[in-house]
Amino acid sequence: MTPVQPGSEPDIVDLIRKEGAVDYEVGLESLNQWQLAWRRFRKHRLALVGLGILIFFIAVAIVGPVFMPFEFDVIPSPDKIVYQGRPPSLQHPFGETGGLQRDVLLLVINGARTSLFIGFSSMFIGVVVGTVVGSVAGYFGGLVDNVLMRIVDVMLSLPLLFVILVASRFFGNGNVVLIIIIFGLFSWMTISRLTRSLFLSIRELEFVQAARAVGLSDRRIIFRHILPNAMSPIIVSASLLIAANIIAEAFVSFLGFGVNPIYPTWGNILSNALTFIPLGNWWWPAFPGLAIIFTVLAVNFIGDGLRDALDPRSKE
Amino acid sequence: MSKYIIRRLIQAIPVLFGITIVVYAILLAAPGGPTARFANNPKFTEADREKFKKAWGLDQPIPVQYCRWMGICNPENEGLAVFIGSTGWPAFLPTSISGTTNGLLHGDLGVSIDTGEAVASRIARAALPTFILAGNALVIWILVALLIGVYAAIHRYSLFDQAATVFAYVGYAMPTFWLGIMLIFLFSGPGLNILPAGGMTETRLSPPFGSDTYWPYFAANPATAIVDIVKHLILPVFTLVVVNIAGDSRFIRSSMLEALGQDYVRTAKAKGLPVRVVIFKHALRNALLPVVTNIGLEIPFLFTGAIVTETIFSWPGIGRMTIEATRSFDYPTLMGLLLITSALVVLANLIADITYAIVDPRIKY
Repeated sequence: MTPVQPGSEPDIVDLIRKEGAVDYEVGLESLNQWQLAWRRFRKHRLALVGLGILIFFIAVAIVGPVFMPFEFDVIPSPDKIVYQGRPPSLQHPFGETGGLQRDVLLLVINGARTSLFIGFSSMFIGVVVGTVVGSVAGYFGGLVDNVLMRIVDVMLSLPLLFVILVASRFFGNGNVVLIIIIFGLFSWMTISRLTRSLFLSIRELEFVQAARAVGLSDRRIIFRHILPNAMSPIIVSASLLIAANIIAEAFVSFLGFGVNPIYPTWGNILSNALTFIPLGNWWWPAFPGLAIIFTVLAVNFIGDGLRDALDPRSKE
Repeated sequence: MSKYIIRRLIQAIPVLFGITIVVYAILLAAPGGPTARFANNPKFTEADREKFKKAWGLDQPIPVQYCRWMGICNPENEGLAVFIGSTGWPAFLPTSISGTTNGLLHGDLGVSIDTGEAVASRIARAALPTFILAGNALVIWILVALLIGVYAAIHRYSLFDQAATVFAYVGYAMPTFWLGIMLIFLFSGPGLNILPAGGMTETRLSPPFGSDTYWPYFAANPATAIVDIVKHLILPVFTLVVVNIAGDSRFIRSSMLEALGQDYVRTAKAKGLPVRVVIFKHALRNALLPVVTNIGLEIPFLFTGAIVTETIFSWPGIGRMTIEATRSFDYPTLMGLLLITSALVVLANLIADITYAIVDPRIKY
């Protein structure tokens, strides 16, 4: 064994440099948070089915009315006048309503547009109001928190369905936008409670303290540092809010206090169906009802999938 | 414990007070109003409208109307004297001192604009049918939800469990009114006409429920009268039960599953106790704790949930009254209904907390 002469053997640093340049470039596929969530979401088969159904309904709601527009003041002229309507046939796959003999398929397609629009946009209002109220209450605490949470208590002690019904009748005026605002303003409370509790725990974490120490403004800390970390549970409960609002809108419109029949929704197209049920007209209420059930099921499945995907710790 | 109950009751007062303010503002700030019913009547002049408004106190500003409704203001006086009762004492004091009889503080909910009847007696009359409907639905719903939930938890992932899951999802997604309509088609449509489509009594045989002649008729032939009501009950009760079971059976199932996974259940099994004893005495009793609270919280919503069911099945209860009062802007009736249902919500919250403390001795207040 010859003694090692310094300088004669290959420089180890050189070696690493050379090899590293060739071999050690490990291709690590890095996924961001949303890609990871999508991976987990994909494993939830029912959620994928739900997503498919919802996309289908949204597509119908957007494209359908272009091909089959609903015109309130155009009374269809059926080839044969039957007072109780006619059951599903090739020409009218969902049948015809009683009375005016409108095509039920056309009603369902046009109803999809308004119902989904109301469901999504009132959810959006509810989430924005709820998140802002909850963030402010949770972040600032003290008197602000106390006042805001007492308001939430009062709102939650209201029999909500009752109040929404009365408010829609008194203020809604059959107007879609007003109805959306009413539904939004009565659906933020649970979200605000949730947001507040998330803020209470997150605001004590080190990175928030660090942000505060750096001297960031409250607004920046709330929206850039705390809120993104509180987003997952809020998204999950927002998805469930869509389903709840679609059902509630159908309920209010069915009773005749919701959207004006000029704009068909899955609720108001049924408001006269009860009269024709004793005559055997089942297809009129059946198909809009099935549309509601499938949409709500789809949204709930998506909500379950989102829960697993975004919040893997909260397993049942 | 009694200290806790008293504290909670006192805390409930500002909440209820807040509710009345919020709702009164919502109701009266709305355009339209009770005079809308005369819109198509050419004989109803502007002067008549003013007279109608004055008679019902609707010409006053909203705070004054609210103040009268609460019984703080005396409608007989003007200006600052509104706060003074007929005896010279402040109007909000009890009737025996102030001489004031109007308003909530004196136990008066006002008079219905629709019928001219006192709101309290109107609600009391409609309460019995709702109570019959909601009470029957509640008992059946709890029993069936318990059976489904416990059986599904014991036989986890069995065919029954999976069927119950599907049922729960669909039941949760199903609008009440749709189920009601489809049931009417199935059981009283042209095909299978075996159950009445609506009402509480058979109009051709019996006087309407709650009318003056009904109770003598009931006393004369109780058997037929009861069978008649039961026949009319089946469809609305079934509707309420199906819609409500969905969530509760799931809740009971998960609560039972959690109890079955506890150490004391394993110990009981290891001791060699019969399965029946382990399930019913050790697991079920503990699984019921959260269920009791949950069901307690749902009871007041049975009354609001009955709105649609009562409307579809023309059941002469509180729900249908709500719809009628909403349709005709009958403020006093709506305020009365709202106050009572909100009080029920607050009370149910309290009762749920108290029962929770009773069934779970670990909880101390």
